[in-house]
Amino acid sequence: MTALTPESRSRPPAKLRRLQPALRSSMPYLICIGGFLIAWQIVSMVLGVARLPGPINVIVETWDPYISQPFFDDGGTSKGLGWQILISLQRVTMGYGLAAVVGIAIGGVLGLNRFIGKGLDPVIQVLRTVPPLAWFPISLMVFQDANTSAIFVIFITAIWPIIINTAVGIREIPQDYTNVARVLRLRKGAYIRNIVIPATVPYVFTGLRISVGLAWLAIVAAEMLKADGGIGYFIWDAYNAGGDSSSSQIILAILYVGVVGLALDRLVAYGGKLVAKGGN
Amino acid sequence: MGSAFLTVDDITQVFPLTDGGRYVALKDIDLEIAEGEFIALIGHSGCGKSTLLNLMAGLTQASSGGILMNGRQITDPGPDRMVVFQNYSLLPWQTVRQNIALAVNNVMRQASEAERRERVEQNIQRVGLTHAAEKLPAELSGGMKQRVAIARALAIEPKLLLLDEPFGALDALTRGNLQQQLMQICQQAGVTTVMVTHDVDEALLLSDRVVCLTNGPEAGIGQILKVNLPRPRQRLEVMEHPDYYRLRSELIGFLQQQRRLKQRTARATTVATTAQPQAPQFPKRLRVGYLPGLDIAPLAVALERGFFSEAQLSVLPVSFHRWQQLEEKLRAGELDLAITSATTPLALNLGLDGQPAWSAITPMTVTRNGNALCLARRFQDLDVRDLNSLAERVKGREWPLRLAVGQKGSMQELLVRHWLGQGGIHPDRDVNFQILSPMAMQAALLAGEIDGFIAGRYRVAKAVEAGLGYVIATDLDVWSGHPEKVLTCHAAWAENHGETLLGFCAALMRAAQICDDGGEHNRLVGLLSQAQWLGSGAALALERQFNLGNGEVSSKRMPLNRYHSDRAHVANVAEGSWILTQFSRWGWSVFPSNRVELLSSVYRNDLCNQALERAGFTALRPDRHPFALADGRHFDQDDPLAYLSELPFGVTSAVEPVTLPTPAATSPVAAR
Repeated sequence: MTALTPESRSRPPAKLRRLQPALRSSMPYLICIGGFLIAWQIVSMVLGVARLPGPINVIVETWDPYISQPFFDDGGTSKGLGWQILISLQRVTMGYGLAAVVGIAIGGVLGLNRFIGKGLDPVIQVLRTVPPLAWFPISLMVFQDANTSAIFVIFITAIWPIIINTAVGIREIPQDYTNVARVLRLRKGAYIRNIVIPATVPYVFTGLRISVGLAWLAIVAAEMLKADGGIGYFIWDAYNAGGDSSSSQIILAILYVGVVGLALDRLVAYGGKLVAKGGN
Repeated sequence: MGSAFLTVDDITQVFPLTDGGRYVALKDIDLEIAEGEFIALIGHSGCGKSTLLNLMAGLTQASSGGILMNGRQITDPGPDRMVVFQNYSLLPWQTVRQNIALAVNNVMRQASEAERRERVEQNIQRVGLTHAAEKLPAELSGGMKQRVAIARALAIEPKLLLLDEPFGALDALTRGNLQQQLMQICQQAGVTTVMVTHDVDEALLLSDRVVCLTNGPEAGIGQILKVNLPRPRQRLEVMEHPDYYRLRSELIGFLQQQRRLKQRTARATTVATTAQPQAPQFPKRLRVGYLPGLDIAPLAVALERGFFSEAQLSVLPVSFHRWQQLEEKLRAGELDLAITSATTPLALNLGLDGQPAWSAITPMTVTRNGNALCLARRFQDLDVRDLNSLAERVKGREWPLRLAVGQKGSMQELLVRHWLGQGGIHPDRDVNFQILSPMAMQAALLAGEIDGFIAGRYRVAKAVEAGLGYVIATDLDVWSGHPEKVLTCHAAWAENHGETLLGFCAALMRAAQICDDGGEHNRLVGLLSQAQWLGSGAALALERQFNLGNGEVSSKRMPLNRYHSDRAHVANVAEGSWILTQFSRWGWSVFPSNRVELLSSVYRNDLCNQALERAGFTALRPDRHPFALADGRHFDQDDPLAYLSELPFGVTSAVEPVTLPTPAATSPVAAR
C-alpha cells in the first residue's frame, strides 16, 4: 500500500475500499508469517545452507517429486508424501478408533459405578503419564510386529484422556437432570439414552480431541523407531540417507505433519459440535 | 388427622458439615395439607423452604419424622409428586415436545402411543407453546422455559405439584402473566400445590394458606396465614379486596421481624462470646424467688434430694409474700430466677405494670392447673351453685362482686375473667378486682372485705376447711392444662449463664417427675409440711379428694397441680399467644402485630428441650394444632384475632408493633 494522504484517506477509490477489510484482516498473518520466513532465511544464511536450508531452498530442492507429485510410487518404501501420510493416518485411525471405543466404554463404567471408578483411579493416574514411546519396547515384545506395535502405542496413548473425560462427564451430570430422572422414575436404559449420553458428549469430545493430538504425536515417533512406510519413517529415512536435499525433505515432512495434526484436531472438534446439539 | 392429603409429621432435617459439625436446617415441622389446596412456603433465604420441598418430593430423606401422602410414607421420588425446579431443569438437547414426551412416555406406559402423543400436544397447547414445540430450550426465553417445565409437570397428572420459586428469575410482566396462568391451570386440574416463594404478593395471589418459616438454623413454622380471598382471583381485584392489605402487612411484618431476630441473634452471639471470659459461669449462689404454694413443690424436692448440688449449683430459695415485691427484686437483679405466674414473662416484656419493658424469658413451665375460685359461704346460702346462678346474682346486685387476685394480670386473673365472661358477667363492670397477698385472702374473706378469691388449691382448701367459703369453679372449668407457673429470668442473664440455667431447669424437671409420682405422695407431704415451705397445712392441701365445700363431697378425683406428666414443661408459644389475646381483650395492651417475634424470644422451648435432654427425658415440642378451652372454643395461634373477636367482651383493640426491650441493653443482672 502506498502512503495515504489525508485527502485520499477520506475518499479512497471504490475498488480499494472493497479490498480494505479483507486486507486488514489478513495483515497480521502476512506480516508475522513473512517475518518468520525472513528470520528463517537469515538464520539459514548465517549457518550455511548445508546445515539449515532456508525456506526458498526447501521449496526448490523438494519441488520434484515431493511437492509436485505427492502420490508417486516407485515401489518399496519410496513413495510420495501423500502416500506416507495416508499410511500413518491408517495406523492412527485403527489405534485411535480402538481407543475411542474402548475408552468410552471403560469411562462409562467408571463414571456410572462409583466403586470401580474410585478403585481404578490410581491405576489410571499412573499409566496416563507414561510417555508413548515407553510403551514401544513392550508392545514389540508382545506383538512381535512393528505395525501392530505402532497401532498399540497409539491406542495406549490416546485412551487415557478419553477414559478420564468420559468418567468425569458422567459424574458431573447436573443434579437438576438426575433429579428429573428420579422424579420421573426413568428406567436405566432411558436414563442413559436421554440424560447420560447427551450430557456427557461434550466431555467425551474434549477427551477425543486431546487424544487425537496425542495419537498423532505418538505415530510419528513410533514410525521413526521401527516401521515400513509412514511419515515418521520418511523423516528418519531422509535423515539416514544424508543426501543433499535430506534436510529440505525433513523440513517439508515436518510441515506436513503439523498441518495434518491441525486438520485432525479441527475435524474432531467439528464432529463434537455436530453431535452436541443444543449443548449447555 | 386422617383427612389430610399430605401430612408432614415432626420433620427434622440435619445436614453434616464438612468440619464435622451438624447443621439443623429444619426442626419439628408439622403441617397438614388438604386435597386441592394451594400452599405457599415463605421465609428468608436459607430458612429451609427448598429443603422442605425436596423432602415432600422424596428427593431427600428427613433425619427424623416423616411425610405421609394419602396415608403412605414418602420414601423416594415419584411422578405422583412432580417438581418444577428452580432453574427449570429442561433437558437442553431435547426440544420442547421431546422434553414433555419423555415425561409422558415414561409415566404413562399403559396408555397407547396415540393417547400419549395427544396428551403431549394438549399440554403444549395448554401453556400456549404450540409454535415453539420444535425449539430447543436454549432458543426459548426464561418465561417460556418455565411454561415448558409446568407443562411437563402437569402432563403426567401428579397428585401433588411442587414448585420451587418458579418465577424467581423472571421479569415482572412475564411473572404476572405466568402467575395468572398457573392459577387457572391449577384450579382446572384441581391439583394440590406447594410453592416456595419469597414474594409476598405472589403468595397471597395464588395460595389458600401461606406457611411462614422462621429463620434457620432450626427453622420451624412461625405462622400460618389463611388467605380467604374469593376465587377465581384476578390480580387487580385481589389487590382491591379489603383483606388484602391486612394479610400483606401481616406477612411483611412477619418477614421483617424474622430479619430483626436474625440481626439480634447475630449481635447476641457476638456479645456472648466477647463477654464470656468475665462472666462467672457458676455464680456463687442462685437466688430463686417464689411465693409459697403447691407450685414450689419441685423446688423443694430438688433441694431436698440434692439435685442442685449434683449439678454443682448452690440454690438459695427466697420467699416472698407479695408478687409485686418479687417482681421488683427480679427487675433489680437481686434474684437470678423466679417462679412466677405464666403471664409474667410477657407482662414484663410489655411493661404492663407501668414500668419500663424488661426483657424476660421463660425456659420452662413449672406447673399446670391447681387453681380454684372460692366464694364466701353466704353465696351458697343464696343458692349460687354455678356460673349461671352467679350471673343472676351479680347482675341483680347494686354493688359489684369483690374478688381478690394475687397479682394484677396473673394467669389466675385471666382465668377468672375468662370464666366470668363466659357467663355474661363483665369483669370490669360487674366485678371489682382487688390485689391481695395470697396469705391475706382468707382473712379478708373472713372480714367480709371480699366476696371471693382465686388462688392455688392449697389456699382455697384452707378457706374451705375453715368453713369460710366453697369452691364454685376450678381451673378445669376454664382451661384444663393451662400453664400456671413458669420459670422466669432476664434474657441477658440466660445468655450469660446458659450452663447454670440448664442445670437448674434439669434439676427442677427431675424433681417435678417425683412430685407427680403417687408413690412419693407421703414423702412429699412430709417435706412440704416443713415450716420453710408450706407448714402443716400441706397435708390438707395435698388431699386428693378435694373438698369443694359445697355440701356434696367431690366424687371425681381432682388432679392436683400437674408438674411433669403430659408434656407439662413445654414453653409453649401458643399458650403465650392466648395470653396476649387476653391482655388485649381487657385493654391492658395493644395486640402486638409482631407477636411471633415477641413470643419466640420469650418462650425458649429450645432451652426447655436441652434441659429435658440433660435430665434424661425426651424433648417436647409444642403442638401447632388449635387447642380447646373448657368453653369449647378453639384457639388457633395462627389466627388469634379471629378468636379474640368471637369472645364475649372481646375487644379487637389496636394491632400495633411493640418495640421489644433489647436483652443486652441496661440489664442490672448483666452488670452484676
